[in-house]
This record gives sequence, structure tokens and C-alpha cells, in this order.
Amino acid sequence: MRSTTVLKSLVLAISVGLLAMSLTTTAEKSAAAPAERSLAALLEVGCGSCHSGESPAGGLDLRTLSDDLASADVRQRWVEIYDRVERREMPPSGVAFPEEKRRALLKRLGAAISAADRADVAANGRGPIRRLNRDEYEQNLRDLLQLPHLDIRDMLPEDRQSHHFNKVSATLDISWVQMSAYLDAAEAALRQARSEGTSPPPVTVQRAVGEQLSVGRETTGGREAMFWVRHDRAIDLAAEKKAAVDKSRVDPTISMALFRSPGWPYGIFPKGIVTRVAGEYRIRFAARARHQFADFTLGPATAPVPMTFRSRRPTNHDIAEDVRSIGGIIDVHPEGSTGPANGVYETTVHLNAGQTIEYGLLGLPAPQPDVMGVTALYRYPPFPAAGQPGIVFDWLELTGPLPPASWPTPSHRVLFDELGPDVKSDQPEVDARRLLRRFIALAAREPVSPEAIAPFEKLVLTALSHGEPLADALLTGYQAFLASDLFLYLPPPRRESDHFAIANRLSHFLLNSRPDAPLLELAGRQRLRDATVLRRETERLIGSREFTRFVEYFTDYWLNVRALRRDDPDIRLFPEYRLDDYLVESLGRETRAFFEAMVRENLPATTLIDADFTFANDRLARHYGLPPLTGSALRKVALPPASPYGGLLTQGAVLKVSANGVNTSPVLRGVWVMDRLLGQPPPPPPPGVPAVEPDIRGARTIREVLGLHTRSASCAACHAKFDPYGLALENFDVLGAWRTRYRGLEEGEVVAGIDQTGHDFRYTLAGPVDASARLADGRPFRDVHDLKRILTANPRLLARNLLHQWTTYATGVPVRFSDRAEIESILDTTAGNGYRVRDLLHGLIRSRIFLGLPGEGGR
Amino acid sequence: MNAPFVLSHATRLSRRSFIRGAGIALALPALEAMTPLRIRAATPPVPRRMLVIVHNIGIFAKPFFPVASGRGYPLSPYLMALAAHREDLTVFSGLSHPGVTGGHSTDNSFLTSARGAFKASFRNTISLDQYAAEQIGHLTRIPSINLGVNIEKANRSLSWTRDGVLLPAEDDAQAVFARMFGLGDQTSIETSLRQIDRRGSILDALREQSRRFSLPLGPADRQRLDQYFTSIREVEGRLRSLREWERRPRPIAPGAPPAPLEEKRLFFEKFELMLRMAELAFETDSTRLITLMLDAFQTPVFRLEGERNTTEGYHGLSHHGHDEAKVRQLETADRQNLAILASHLDRLAARGEGPDRLLDRTMVLFGSNMGDANVHNNSNLPILLAGGGFRHGQHLAFPRHQNTPLSNLFVSMLQRLEIATDAFGSSTGSLTGLELG
Repeated sequence: MRSTTVLKSLVLAISVGLLAMSLTTTAEKSAAAPAERSLAALLEVGCGSCHSGESPAGGLDLRTLSDDLASADVRQRWVEIYDRVERREMPPSGVAFPEEKRRALLKRLGAAISAADRADVAANGRGPIRRLNRDEYEQNLRDLLQLPHLDIRDMLPEDRQSHHFNKVSATLDISWVQMSAYLDAAEAALRQARSEGTSPPPVTVQRAVGEQLSVGRETTGGREAMFWVRHDRAIDLAAEKKAAVDKSRVDPTISMALFRSPGWPYGIFPKGIVTRVAGEYRIRFAARARHQFADFTLGPATAPVPMTFRSRRPTNHDIAEDVRSIGGIIDVHPEGSTGPANGVYETTVHLNAGQTIEYGLLGLPAPQPDVMGVTALYRYPPFPAAGQPGIVFDWLELTGPLPPASWPTPSHRVLFDELGPDVKSDQPEVDARRLLRRFIALAAREPVSPEAIAPFEKLVLTALSHGEPLADALLTGYQAFLASDLFLYLPPPRRESDHFAIANRLSHFLLNSRPDAPLLELAGRQRLRDATVLRRETERLIGSREFTRFVEYFTDYWLNVRALRRDDPDIRLFPEYRLDDYLVESLGRETRAFFEAMVRENLPATTLIDADFTFANDRLARHYGLPPLTGSALRKVALPPASPYGGLLTQGAVLKVSANGVNTSPVLRGVWVMDRLLGQPPPPPPPGVPAVEPDIRGARTIREVLGLHTRSASCAACHAKFDPYGLALENFDVLGAWRTRYRGLEEGEVVAGIDQTGHDFRYTLAGPVDASARLADGRPFRDVHDLKRILTANPRLLARNLLHQWTTYATGVPVRFSDRAEIESILDTTAGNGYRVRDLLHGLIRSRIFLGLPGEGGR
Repeated sequence: MNAPFVLSHATRLSRRSFIRGAGIALALPALEAMTPLRIRAATPPVPRRMLVIVHNIGIFAKPFFPVASGRGYPLSPYLMALAAHREDLTVFSGLSHPGVTGGHSTDNSFLTSARGAFKASFRNTISLDQYAAEQIGHLTRIPSINLGVNIEKANRSLSWTRDGVLLPAEDDAQAVFARMFGLGDQTSIETSLRQIDRRGSILDALREQSRRFSLPLGPADRQRLDQYFTSIREVEGRLRSLREWERRPRPIAPGAPPAPLEEKRLFFEKFELMLRMAELAFETDSTRLITLMLDAFQTPVFRLEGERNTTEGYHGLSHHGHDEAKVRQLETADRQNLAILASHLDRLAARGEGPDRLLDRTMVLFGSNMGDANVHNNSNLPILLAGGGFRHGQHLAFPRHQNTPLSNLFVSMLQRLEIATDAFGSSTGSLTGLELG
């Protein structure tokens, strides 16, 4: 196996050039010698007494361990040995090993591994070209074709993840499945970019008044959820209709009062409003926040009620489909307060053909069938004395598709320049050549040589000669280009002159898309290796609106925020969270807003763990026990000095995804904290070990259950590392609310009632939470406050983790052994100012890890 | 002829799933007419087929494995559900992939036997179905079909290419149906042929074009680009075959396509619907190779019986820690799975093809990559093989402490597909004791 790899690299090296070959072979020779010496070093200090023989400890036999450090697999093995010695895990406790011996050993090992790794980088480059993942591909096409709402991502298979990200070169494989999908997606995108017809589709205004505001006269949730109202009193619309002489007459004095968020099994959308073509639409509606009372009368509301629209087909609810929130969150205000004049609200949304809009009230969950499957019986909790908040709608208007800025559309001009909607030309062949070159220049993220354009040109001209219309012939060529390796792959910067590769790496890092015109212009002028220019461009991208894409994708994968909705909390234990999608949504936005602030405000790396502020809205203020806020918009709020919140570590979103989402688990949370926040992923669990689950009867605390770990030496070795972090977070429930006692179902003080969605609940308050523990190095802590103090005392560790995560995300290659020194030097230069996040970002971007080593890859 | 499509197993149908199910309207007698004669004539005399079903949490070992081995073994409690097919199946114990550990990540290695799936540097090898498709895939309109229930498409699959690239599973029965039956009218065939030609010329251009003009390449870049060019050649090969097939009439659809079934909690309904799609594919000879992963790991709270849901997700339940309530729910789920499998075998046995039962020409492998999910164990896998014309009716027991490679069974299955090979993955030969009937 090894010999074939060496052979292969030799063969390739020969084909690349004699110079490369001599580099490869010298590299291998020079790497082998120190490796032999480092193996000897391990044996000298006595590692061989355990790690050899019939059954070597940990399966590591130093007598058979390969010393061919030029092989990546072997090198990886040696890196593991190095790390375990460096972390003082080896030799095991009880074996005397003087500090100077350890240092000497690490120095020898480190030098050998580093030399071999550097030789590999010099010969082969730090990492290979990387395929665009499907999010990047979609964003590239959106930007290129000027179609901001292009929706082709789901046509492409989801990309695999490794090291938490879907941006790792080695994992972004391609097979005929992806290839076919890229061709399909490119075709669909180009079709959407084309304007057909002499004018844009006509704009229509669809209006719903009174009873037209909903297809149904009532809802599954009963009058607690929705009713028809005239002059603030519920009316029996069905009876009125029956008695009416003219049944088609629409009574504008009727309004629709909504008090629960519709969701399956019912959704409320206006009657007869449906789009005929896809496009931008404007929704206008008249509404006000009102309170509902027990006799189904309405009275004044005290605070705005947040709502959102959702796009969907106007179908029976039994058809499962993609229902998406659109148009953002709108706070509907009480009459005559801070809301818009006349109580008329407006938002712009993108709708596909055949869709309508569904009303979604946030924070007022819908009634749903019980999790145990019992047919829905809703028994709402008693009305609050001040009434139940909701929204009254008077009318709604959908206008669209809104006309594009020009006709043909800007995206059509990207394809066909000035040739107009019918793409007519007197000299089709000349125009074909011209437009193809023009499109490739716009689409490629670097200059494309005439030789590389030739096959596409041949394709277009052949199609033309077969009698295809000019537009179709060109689109065939464009489609091919959008599926070519020139478009699908990002090259890594290696040579001094690789400025386009730097521009691409920077924009896909910070914007998840292609470089914009100013960045490409700088690349063309070879200015991006100028530290001042690079810094200015980085600042410009961080300051741009599109930077939120970095915030979203990076937190989605690094912190796994994308899994926020994956599991619902166990509603038997946490009935207050049943269907509280507004809370979950707000938690996700909090984490993103916080991380964005960490970068934009250049906050210290310790804000990962602790901060004196967070971002909150009305719902989060309640959730975290902060002074009340009104409205759905997140704002930066100062936290009381004793608050356990502040820092990513104790945010609800993190606490939800770090457990299993259903209940809490200190083991999972502990592993999560080490892996994602501290950058010290523990080894995977050994085979044949049962998982530890909390005892939800309430009889035993998790601490008692976990006691099993410490009684077995083999379990304790690893669990002692991560359990403590999880235990410190035991004061936070599954969604991050503070708790001092566990909940159970059997033992303890009974709490019962009716939840917001009309279901009975009954749980018990069981034993008290004890969040104290001792870290693996022996440092004790009482609770999360103590732990935060311990963790923030080591900002370098937190900063190092950020650099590691960004390296993988930005370059598609995790930190290599030979990168480590560079990482430490970035840390050194940012230490003085407290390891601030944007400083770290700049440090990485100007490093050789990001910019490539001139001469890398044998050039 | 439009008998309603009724899910046959124990679950009582709700109004919702009835509405969904009614759309599909399958009827067995109608199927005779569905196979176009020309396709039948073009195939070798006896088509051999394979369906592999993998449940990635697995089932309880104790009630599954029979106590005694050999022929005439007393049925285990679970196998009672398959009593009618006793002579149509062999149950195996003591099989696993040597060295394949890593808990739940091993589902990706089930059909490949590659080790180290839990490592970041893991690279998979070719899966059994793709290996077979390389040999016999061209005999049918669709070389192979890779299905999933609740599957996490990005990261889990039974199907892997020779380069170790994941082939995503299809979890939408409607899409599978469309692939088999298409639209079928002459205009759409012509459009489709034009599309194929157009795409063919695009691929020609892509093959000629390459980064070699613009970039210095290292070995790792070349490896990535090789993969890219391989993907182009593969799409071309598929287009050629598609072109040939597109000229032949498609089988006639047996009714309306199935209504979408997306809710993850309807795990069993989805399982059964996918088996229906597999049956349709075999009956119309649309493909001979199908894999189906039941991604229980990604299945949240699901409907267990009647309208009753489980108390937590499938994975949560699997870590039962011998908690009685969890064990009870898992056992109910196990029995449901086996009942669904039993009715699938019923239907394959009831259907004739030439002188044989469809079942005799179709190997159905049911198993799991988990020996015991509670403790993340990957040895002593629960495996049973039905149909395919083997001499069944036995419990083939291999040592529990020194497992026989599961790939040995794969070699026997490949040979049954008339693929001349005596090795696959980590095999040491074909499986001793499994003879042709």
C-alpha cells in the first residue's frame, strides 16, 4: 500500500517535472532520518516497556510502528503520540517522567514531524483544490445571475461534513450524482435568469376583506384560537351567512381575530389569494393587537404581538410540504400606539407560483394532538386577567409580481447583454463568440485562458450550426461552464502570483460566495499580498451586509445551530416549551447576533465563555429572567452582575444543541463544550459501552447515575475530562432556563396544570441541582460562575480554538502539524490586546496558512 | 383493478394516511401487463435480484436469534412473525465485519466492510450494490436504486462508489415512482432524447476542458480532478444507457404515483411504502439491485401502534438501559418491522415470474450494523436472508466470539447474481453452509 503511494507520487512528480521530483525525493529522504531517531527517542525513554510485545498497551506497538513520516497516515499516528505526551496523558500517571525529559522528547518528535509535514506541504501544497459546496454554489449563481432569491440548493445532494464543516476539501467528493445535479441546477438557474416575452408579467392586486381573510369559517382550535368579530364582539359567521339574502355579499365590518399560531392540523390563509407566477410580492394589511376575554369580547392590548407570514400552497393540510417563514417578523402594535399610521403594515416577500400566505402568530402556540397520540382535546388555561393577546385583521392585499428594475431583467442582461428578450441577432456567430466570452469573464472568478474557452466555444458554435436558436446555443455553453471544474473548484493560493486564489478564499470565507468586483479588481492588480490592502478588504467584507452569511453558516456548523429545531424538548417534563417556536427562533437569533458582535465589535475571545451583555427580545427577557422588554427585535442588553448568562457557553441555543434536544445530558454537553468551545475533542466512546441517561422517574440524580463512571477506572479516564463541564451546566434546562431542582415524572412534589396549547401536564420537582465538580486537573468549582472564571483565565486556549475552526472553514484543511507554530505566532501577536476576535481573524488571514506559502506545491 | 393501496401490517390506519395511501392504488393482477415484452426478451433467461434492508439501530438479539442451530431449529419469538416463510429464509448468527467498530457510524460500512468509519480521515470503499451494478446494472433501465427512510442524506448511505463517494439515498417514493414510469408519452420521450443529446455534448466539452490550462497541480489536486473526470465519464455512461432505454417503452404505471409521505413519525408506513416501490421495481424489471436504509438513528418520536406515539426518538429508546418502558416500546417496534418484512415476502412469494415465484429470483437481506445498540456493539449482527433460490430453512450459526466475515455472505450473494467473483471487501471466501436450492 505504502509503496504504491510512494510510487504514485513519484510517477506524478515525474509527469509534473524533474524539479518537482527531486524535491519530493529529497523531502522523503530528509524526513526518514529524524523519524528513525525519534522512534529511538521513544524507546530510549522507556515507552517500549508497555508499548510492545504480545498485547501492547493501547494497541500501539513501537517495534512495528512505521517510521515513514512521509506517509500522511503514519504521520497522523505520530502526531497522536506527540499530543498525548504533550497533554501529559502519556506516560500514564504513576510512571515517573521528569519534565526536562518530556521537553526533550517533544522537541525531537516535534522537529521530525514538522520537517516531514513541511516537506509534504512544499512538495504537494497545504491542501488540494476544493469543490464548492451546495450553499456556495447557490450563492455564486445568485450573485452572478443577479437572482437574489434563486432557490436551487435543494436540487443538489447535501454535502458531507468532517471536522464539523461542509467545507473540507477531502470530504467534498464528486460522483456522477453530484455532477448530474450540478448540470440540472445550472440549467434551472439559467432558465430563471432569462426574461421571456416583450414585457414583465402583469402586476395584479388581490385583496381579502372580512370573511375572505380565511378559507375556513372556524378552526380546530375553537374560538380560543380564532373567531370572527364585529365591533369587538364575536359573531356566528356561519349563522349570519345562512340567514343572509345575498350570500356572496362581503361584509367589510367583519374582522378576523387570531389568538393562537396556526400550524398543523390547521393553517389559516386568505380565501382565493394565490400567485400565478413566481416573483416578489408586496403584502399590505390592516391589523392591530387586541386582548381576548373569556366572553369572547376584545379589549385593548398593552404590548405588540409578533407575527410572520409563511409561504405555502393553498391546499389541504394533510399534504406535507415546505412551509417557509417569509418577510421577517412584524410586530403588530396596539391601536394608536407606536405602530404605523392607520395600522397598515407592509412587507415584501418572494413567492413561488401557486402559493398563498399563511398567518403565523409567534409566541402563541397552536393546539396540537398530544404526543402520546390522544386525539386533541384542548382545555386552555384560564384567561389571564388582562386578557389573552392576539391580532385582529381587517383586510389584506397581495400585490405582484412587483415589476423588475428593468426589462429585460438585469439577469437577462448578464446572459445576453443588449440583445433583448427574444435574443435576436443579425450576426449570430459573432454574437455567440462575443457573448460567450463576456459570460465566462463575468462567471469565472479568475482570468480564463483562450485554450480553456475553446471547448465551450466549439459547443456553442456546433449547436448554432445545427440550427439551434442563438439563445439556446449560448445557454448550452453557459450551462457547461457552470458545471466545469473552473467554476466548481476553488484553487488554493500557492504561488506569489495567486491573487485570484486569495480573493476567492477570502470571499468564500467571509461572504460564502464569489469575490465582488472591487476584490477581483485588486486581485487583477496583484495587490492582495499587500498587508494594508488585505486588511482593508477584510474590513470591508466584515462591514458588508453579506457578512451575516459568514455568521450564519459558521455558527450553523461550528456550534451546530442548524440542528436547533431537530428535536423537541420532552414535553412531559417541559410543558412550557410545547410548540414554542418563537422561543426557539429567538434563541437562534441571539446566538448569531452575539457571535456577529464578537467579530464586529472585536471582543475578547473570552466572550465565548462569559460576557456582561447578551441580545434579547420580549420572549428571551422572560426566558432568562431579565427585566421585561417589548417587541420581537433583538437588542443588546446589559446583564445583571449575578446573571449566569452572557457568553456562548450559557446561551439557550448552545445548551439545546449541546444536549440531545429532548432532555439534558451532562455527558453530551461536556463533550460538546470540550470539542466545540475549547477545541479539545475527547476520543470517541469505546465500543460496548452503554449510554448514561438521566433517570426521569426522578428517583436518582444524574450525579448518582454518573457515579458509575468514576467507579470504573477505564471509564473514569475519559469521563473525568468532560463530565465536569457538563455538570457545571446542570443548572440549565434543555432550553437554557435556570433551574435549581430537577424535574421528574414520579418522585417529588407534583406540579400540574394546563399548558399554553390546551394540554394537561403533570411533572414533579425532584432533587436539587448540584453543579459542583472538579476538573480533570483537580481544580474544584461550585457552579457555572466558578467554571466561567476558570475558563476565562485561559483566553489563549479559546483563541486557539477559534483559529483552528476558522482554518478548517476557510481553507478546507484542518490545522496541520506544521501550521501549529504559525497559529502560536498569531496568538502571540494578539495576546497583548486580550486575543480579540477580529484581531485573530486578521491574524489568520495574513498568515501563510491562509495566503499559502510561496513555493508551496513544488513551485 | 384500482383496489385501494392498504398498508397491511398491524398499524391501524389514520384518516391521514388513508388519504395518502388511496392515491397509489396498486393492484397485483394489473402488474402482469406492465412488463414490456421487448425488455423481457432482451434480458437473460433468469433475472437475479437483490434487496438489502438495513435498520441502523437494529433489533433485540435475544428474541431474534434462535437458540438451536441447523435445520428444523425452533423459531425464535421474533421469527414467529416470519413462520410462513420458514423454508424461504436462513437466519445467521455469528456474522460481522472484522474490525468494523464505531457504533452508529458503521451503517455506512454495512455494504462495504471498510474500517474506521468514525474517523475524520475515513474513506469508504465500494458497496455491494454498486459492485454488482458495475456488472449487471446495464441490464435494466435503472442500474440500482438506493432508498432510505428518514435518512440523513448527506452523511448516511448504504451505497458508495469505488472512490468512496457517498451516493445519496432517495427518500421520496414519488420520485422513485417517476424514475420507473416517467411520463411515457411520445412528446416527452422526444424531449427527453433531445435533452440527453444536449447533455451529451455538454459533457464532451467538459471532458476536453480542464484546469490544466490555468493551474499548477499537485498529486492531491489531480486526485480531486480525477474524481471530477470520472464523474463526467460516469454521467456519460449513464446517458448512453438511458438513451437506449428511452427508446424502449417504459413499463406502464400501475396507477397514480404514491402521495407524499414526509412526516418522520410515520416510520413504519414509510418503510412499507418503500418496500412497495421495491416490489414495483422488481416486477417491472426496472432494476435488480435495491438498497434500503431505515435510518432509525434520525427518527424522532414516531407512531408506534394505532395513534400511540413513542415517548422519545428511536435512538433515545435504543439506549434503553433495560428500562422496562423503553424495552417494551422497542420490542413493539421490532415486531412491526418484522411484520412489514413478512408481508413483503408474502407479496414476492405470491407473484409469479416465468416458472418461479418472484421471491425465488429475489434475495432479500434484512439486517443491521448494530449487534446491540444499547452498548454500541457491532458484532454478532442480526442478519437474515430470504429468497433468491437458496436452500433455506436453517439457522446457520457461526462462533459468537470469533465472528465469520459478513462479506462471505456478500460473496455468496454476488455469485447468486451470476457475478463471477470469490472475494468482496474483507471476505475470506463464500459463506460455508449456504447452498443453492
